[in-house]
Amino acid sequence: MRVQINFDQCEGHGRCAITAPAVFRVDAEGYGQVAVEDVPDEERARVERAIRLCPKQAIAWVSETV
Amino acid sequence: MPIDPALLPFGINLLDAPLFTEGKAHEAFRLLRRERPVPWHPGTERLNGFWSLTKYEDILHVSRHPELFISSKGIVGAGLRDDGGYVPIRPGDGGISLITMDPPRHVKMRRLVNKGFTPRAVNAMEPSIRKVTNEILDRVASRNECDFVLEIASQLPLAVICGMMGLPQDVWPLMFELTNSVLGAGDPEYQSEVPEEVRGSGEAERQTSMGGEMRMLGYFAEIIEQRRREPQDDLISILLEADVDGELLTQQDILAFCFLIILAGNETTRNAISGGLVTLCEHPEERARLQADMSLIDGAVEEILRWTSPLHHMSRVATADTEIRGQKIASGDRVIMWYPSANRDEDIFPDPYRFDITRSPNDHLAFGIGEHFCLGAGFARKEMRVMFEELFRRFPDIQTAGPPDRLRSTFINGIKHLPVTFTPAR
Ligand code: HEM
Ligand code: SF4
Repeated sequence: MRVQINFDQCEGHGRCAITAPAVFRVDAEGYGQVAVEDVPDEERARVERAIRLCPKQAIAWVSETV
Repeated sequence: MPIDPALLPFGINLLDAPLFTEGKAHEAFRLLRRERPVPWHPGTERLNGFWSLTKYEDILHVSRHPELFISSKGIVGAGLRDDGGYVPIRPGDGGISLITMDPPRHVKMRRLVNKGFTPRAVNAMEPSIRKVTNEILDRVASRNECDFVLEIASQLPLAVICGMMGLPQDVWPLMFELTNSVLGAGDPEYQSEVPEEVRGSGEAERQTSMGGEMRMLGYFAEIIEQRRREPQDDLISILLEADVDGELLTQQDILAFCFLIILAGNETTRNAISGGLVTLCEHPEERARLQADMSLIDGAVEEILRWTSPLHHMSRVATADTEIRGQKIASGDRVIMWYPSANRDEDIFPDPYRFDITRSPNDHLAFGIGEHFCLGAGFARKEMRVMFEELFRRFPDIQTAGPPDRLRSTFINGIKHLPVTFTPAR
């Protein structure tokens, strides 16, 4: 499963990198970045959490059918 | 007229300020979370009835559906029955501010003003935040006691927000006084402008709040005019040049935003800092752990925010019939999200009644979440962090010297005065 951050919505609150540090990091400006796009199974739950808790709802799974 | 307790679950009246000021709210919320997590409050003769949300998940749900649960009908308290829900954060002349705006306009406006609040903007301010903090501490350094709220905690947010707006230093005390009368209006201490015999009443609260609001708007109207003539390098000048979809912001938009920012920036961070010191003094082991290793400060700040929840609530109005936790909510019904309850929710936080500066994860909702997530969260966190770093560096033995004098409010978890003692620093 792949995950992405919508940069229009991200305000750089950094919650993603705290919640799932193996998948997200913050860039030099403080905005969220996907470090590992293809999310390994063992990280899935943490990514789900980050999606739920991103204050600006900026993180989403990329639908595989597109 | 007092509310008939029989109409309230377990007799708990969440509109009763002493519940909060006397520290009984957490017990009440614990009971409600377990037995009646979405209770109805019938309101009063003056105030509308409302549903209370006490569970973390329910507050998350409401905050994340800003079309179904709107902010434009007011976000503070239950709202008055007789004037369509007067909202203190909405200037009386019709302007609507960010916090009482709904999508899609909110999304555009937020993107615009967010430019002043990016992580880069916050980091760029750090040196000046540290400098101001030390100037504040210098002023009390030769003494061995002070009022922590008036002389320290309130001074940093005031300086930061007034600095951002480019307000000259001689009006900062006036801004302090006016924000108190707008948001602390329910407390007789701030009702000095109304006749003595009505102080403490709902009417005194309304008059105090309106009076403060009018004076503040009058002042900002003047400043905006000045900036139109002579632009400066400040937030107001930036807003004067900004546009939404090619349209410049109106005078009302800018006034409303100034009004929001000065309140939101002052009346919250101050209490997070004061409440933080009280909490650390009440938990000497956690405090010692922090002072022995100040690299724990970020976690400590988050735990202080969870523990104190500087804002007790925000509210919303449903735009359609819906359900929360099986409870039917009708279109037009008001829901109040109680943050202190969410932040002690047993389903989310293991051992929620333990103050633990290394709690991880710590996904508290002190700043709200979703569409209206606190715009100033980055600044608030930075101010708290710098304040505690400098405070403990210079006054490592600072102690509370009496109980906090709490603000009478069901909205703001406020502290008006806090006596502290410390060894004078060189
Ligand atoms: C510890 C300090 C603070 C706390 C606990 C706090 C809390 C909150 C909360 C809970 C909301 C959500 C409102 C809602 O969902 O309806 C909010 C919104 C807001 N806050 Fe803060 N705040 C703090 C500091 C600040 C500061 C320092 C500023 C400005 C510099 C600020 C500016 C705002 C603004 C403009 C909004 C409205 C955002 C919107 O509607 O999009 N806050 N705050
Ligand atoms: S949590 Fe959301 S807003 Fe914060 S940095 Fe990550 S994507 Fe951006």
